[in-house]
Amino acid sequence: MQCALARDGRILVAPLTIFLLAMLGLPLVVDLIYSVSAVEFATILSPEFVGLANYASALSSESFWRAAWFSLRFGLLCATAQVLIGLFLAIFLEPLLARRPWLMAFLMLPMMVAPALVGLMYRLVLHEFVGVVPWFMFTYVGDSPSFLGPDNAFKTLVVVEVLQWTPFALLILYSAYVSIPADVREAAAIDGAGTWRRLVSIDLPLMGPAIGATFFIRFIDSFRVFDNVYTLTGAGAGGSTATMSIWVYEAFFKSGDIGRAVAASMLLLAASWLVLSVVHRLSQRRAGASA
Amino acid sequence: MTALRWIVFAIAVLAMNFPVISTLITSFKSEAEIAGNPSWWIEAPTLANYQGIFAIADRFDILHYLWNSFASSILGAGLSLLLAFPAAYAMVRFETGQKWLLPLVANLRAIPLIVFAIPLYLVYARVGLLDTELGLALILCIVNLPLVLVLLAASLRDLPAELDEAARVDGASTFGLLWRIVLPLATPALATTMVLGFVYAWNEFLFALMLTTRNAVTTTVGASFFFAASGGGVRWGTAAAVMVLSVLPPMVLGLLLYRRIGQSLAAGAVKG
Repeated sequence: MQCALARDGRILVAPLTIFLLAMLGLPLVVDLIYSVSAVEFATILSPEFVGLANYASALSSESFWRAAWFSLRFGLLCATAQVLIGLFLAIFLEPLLARRPWLMAFLMLPMMVAPALVGLMYRLVLHEFVGVVPWFMFTYVGDSPSFLGPDNAFKTLVVVEVLQWTPFALLILYSAYVSIPADVREAAAIDGAGTWRRLVSIDLPLMGPAIGATFFIRFIDSFRVFDNVYTLTGAGAGGSTATMSIWVYEAFFKSGDIGRAVAASMLLLAASWLVLSVVHRLSQRRAGASA
Repeated sequence: MTALRWIVFAIAVLAMNFPVISTLITSFKSEAEIAGNPSWWIEAPTLANYQGIFAIADRFDILHYLWNSFASSILGAGLSLLLAFPAAYAMVRFETGQKWLLPLVANLRAIPLIVFAIPLYLVYARVGLLDTELGLALILCIVNLPLVLVLLAASLRDLPAELDEAARVDGASTFGLLWRIVLPLATPALATTMVLGFVYAWNEFLFALMLTTRNAVTTTVGASFFFAASGGGVRWGTAAAVMVLSVLPPMVLGLLLYRRIGQSLAAGAVKG
């Protein structure tokens, strides 16, 4: 009986496994082969082994490191801002949202919009002549900075990303906040703890795992960002707003530098794996400590 | 204090939805008014931009793009449910692959998609899947799988195992049980996951940009063509109208089903 169940289990898992092997395993093998080969679109079927030359070429490229640094800064900054603003909104708006849950629908709406379209919409909104933001600045402030120019592009992109994805942080943190049992807070209140004291000693520690998970998810998503940056500024002047994903994309499609692009994407994969295993270690230690 | 909360709420909603609101307003202005009046006030509301989209149908076939988005999203989301549902059941009840397959798929969410995009492009070019709805749908399925699998496994875990055991005693096979007992009970979870998968697939951009050029172009990519193709003089009114039509389907789903979507996203984030 047990044996038959195990067999049924394998049959049920088989389609998914085969699909993953075909759609992810095969590409990974192709990635590995091309990352150590000299290859062009014309010679795609006869790659020539060149060892680690592609990796060396990517790692010695200045633009690669600039993209890596851009993505890292972008990811950390966006994730931090989203968690802080999301935390504030979740706690401050809780009395409103608890009584009228439908208000949440309006806060969640930005998540339903394709990031690529958000990037395009900001091309309109920030346009020097037809955009509402420069118009507002010219009319009421007297001058408008060039939002997508080399000096401001990074800041603008951070604001765009934070405004769209703070709702995600808000949603997760709000559901963590409302799931704190009321009697825990009441007990603290009876013991004479004020609002701030309760926030710092009870709410925030209990929300710790949710805050950590939110930060991690937002960091990953902002680090690997492609869509909104690509449609809003592209790689920017001189590659100033190229993220890692955009760098790989351009190396492949614009320069036709297949080996280098693939080597860079393998490095990206290794970096994600490293981050994942660190996070996994951390969350296990926490689970171990609380058990 | 309550007034202050309402003010903060209003500011948050306006700031976060700012680009969508501005684009919606622009889409109801004539091209002449857009050039002269960038504010949020509409002097003379008009539907000319929406009619204008169809006037350029020979170069920019919006209905075709919307159809491509719809077809590949339905197919991609449906396929991910089809693969993930039996697998999630086996993981939850028989612990098949729960140690390696579930974490593997769940962690896919953290890997930059571009890593798989280049080899898939090369493979697709060889097998003739480039620029097809099926090819795009297969990838959208991969994009959706992490969230779909985590959500389905979580909801199946909440179903009482006693039902399974009772059906077993009555002599049901695993597959009969899955079909007649588990599937009906899991329908609400499957429906929510389907909606979420549809929205994610609809909004996907990177793969659609790389893998489609003409026949299978989706609306997110189509809207970006619009900016590139018009060179220096972008027709902002028509562009705004196109963007409004492109965001409408996922936004309507989001407004109607915000509660279920919210619960799923929260569950998916904490469990994944």
